[in-house]
Amino acid sequence: MSWLDRQSFLGEDSERQLRDLTIAIVGLGGGGSHVAQQSAHVGIGGFVLIDDDRIDDTNLNRLVGATAADVERGERKVDIAERLIRGINPGARIIKAASLWQDAVDAVRSCDIVFGCVDNVRGKDQLEALCRRLMVPYIDQGMDVHSIGDGFMVAGQVVLSMPGAPCLRCLGVVTDEALDEEGRNYGAAGGKPQVVWPNGVLSSVAIGLMMQLVTRWHDQSEVGKCLEYDGNANTVQPSDRMRLLRGRPCPHRPVDDVGDPSFDIRRFLANATQQAPAPATGATQANPLAARWWVRLIRKMRQLV
Amino acid sequence: MIAALRMRSDQLRDMRSDLARPHAHAWERVGFIAAAATAAGKGVLLLARGYMPVADEDYLRDTGVGAAIGSNAFRNALQWAYRDKSTLLHVHAHHGSGRPGFSGVDLRSGSEFAPSFFTTVPRMPHGMVVLSDDCAYGLLWLAEDRPPVPIEDFSQTGIHYRRDWNRP
Repeated sequence: MSWLDRQSFLGEDSERQLRDLTIAIVGLGGGGSHVAQQSAHVGIGGFVLIDDDRIDDTNLNRLVGATAADVERGERKVDIAERLIRGINPGARIIKAASLWQDAVDAVRSCDIVFGCVDNVRGKDQLEALCRRLMVPYIDQGMDVHSIGDGFMVAGQVVLSMPGAPCLRCLGVVTDEALDEEGRNYGAAGGKPQVVWPNGVLSSVAIGLMMQLVTRWHDQSEVGKCLEYDGNANTVQPSDRMRLLRGRPCPHRPVDDVGDPSFDIRRFLANATQQAPAPATGATQANPLAARWWVRLIRKMRQLV
Repeated sequence: MIAALRMRSDQLRDMRSDLARPHAHAWERVGFIAAAATAAGKGVLLLARGYMPVADEDYLRDTGVGAAIGSNAFRNALQWAYRDKSTLLHVHAHHGSGRPGFSGVDLRSGSEFAPSFFTTVPRMPHGMVVLSDDCAYGLLWLAEDRPPVPIEDFSQTGIHYRRDWNRP
């Protein structure tokens, strides 16, 4: 009997597949905390948790797992997320980075899937660019509250960004105008309106996209997805723009622009040598060719015949 | 030292299809993967840019091995790798399931040709990969004069993301 028995329809090997995965969650506020919680519930085994912020009382309206005591202590959001995950799965592999994600890129590079739960357009753009270079799925979610007439419109979207599929720029989530406006308002934007239930809806959709990506409980044929949330009408619908763009190459992120353009194995080895402790006397490096002792023995015997 | 290789599922499917095609006189087909790289933790993550089949006419007549290819095939592959400063991986397939292994002939020839790739693209690691019907294994030379390290971590990304090289 396993704690994941009730989701065995995901595939007979799904428990191991989910346990072997490592996901990065960038941003552990209103969106990221839901993602952390649900990912732990479905059995994801590895987490890279990234957020440089500490909780304050304005987060309590939406940060899942947070308590008033956390606010009093000014807990780090990465620690709250870790506690939330360990409460569900004590054996989870967790790496925490209480820093800007740009300072934790090394940890992100080892992940299988990256969730972008950041509230700035530039961050989304840069995270997606990194993920395309790593050829890993990037799941971005975002919500906004817009003033319309006498009322407000709650809206958002979730994008599964995959190599070769339309990107956030293709889909209009990242635009030059939004980047310019964000740049002009840098440091003076203040807190944007955020509430718990749209974050919950969007995060659940994001987790659903991840589960479709890594398990096979039904047939599907599309690479990359975009779903739009209308919080006033209470609907989630596939994006028309994605439908129109499907099959067209993404002009912003060419499919073969992958890897680190400055990578040099000689420099990598030099750095590794500097960082590695000196080997103990008599230690030898494992050699996969040398391991084939029987090949050398047969060769020797042939020479003798 | 962890060496990992990731490829798009559509490229993997095309590569498997090519390697499974019969040849007029060779017992099996071979090809090449060009890949970019990045440091990942303490290891190297290779990111496949594409697959290059070996042309029919570049297979030599040699009954002693499954497939022997001529210098023209290596030259074409190296020119392709040189253009984007890519890692070059020789690839072929064995039948069966589970993690495949290299034969003695594979290891002997691989330890000759793989280090020679450094002459053309010295800044990248090079190696060779063998596929089974549902898995893969590889060897990666990080330098011309060092023993190779195993490539044991394979992933594919497409409609599904999988940490294996089973058929997409």
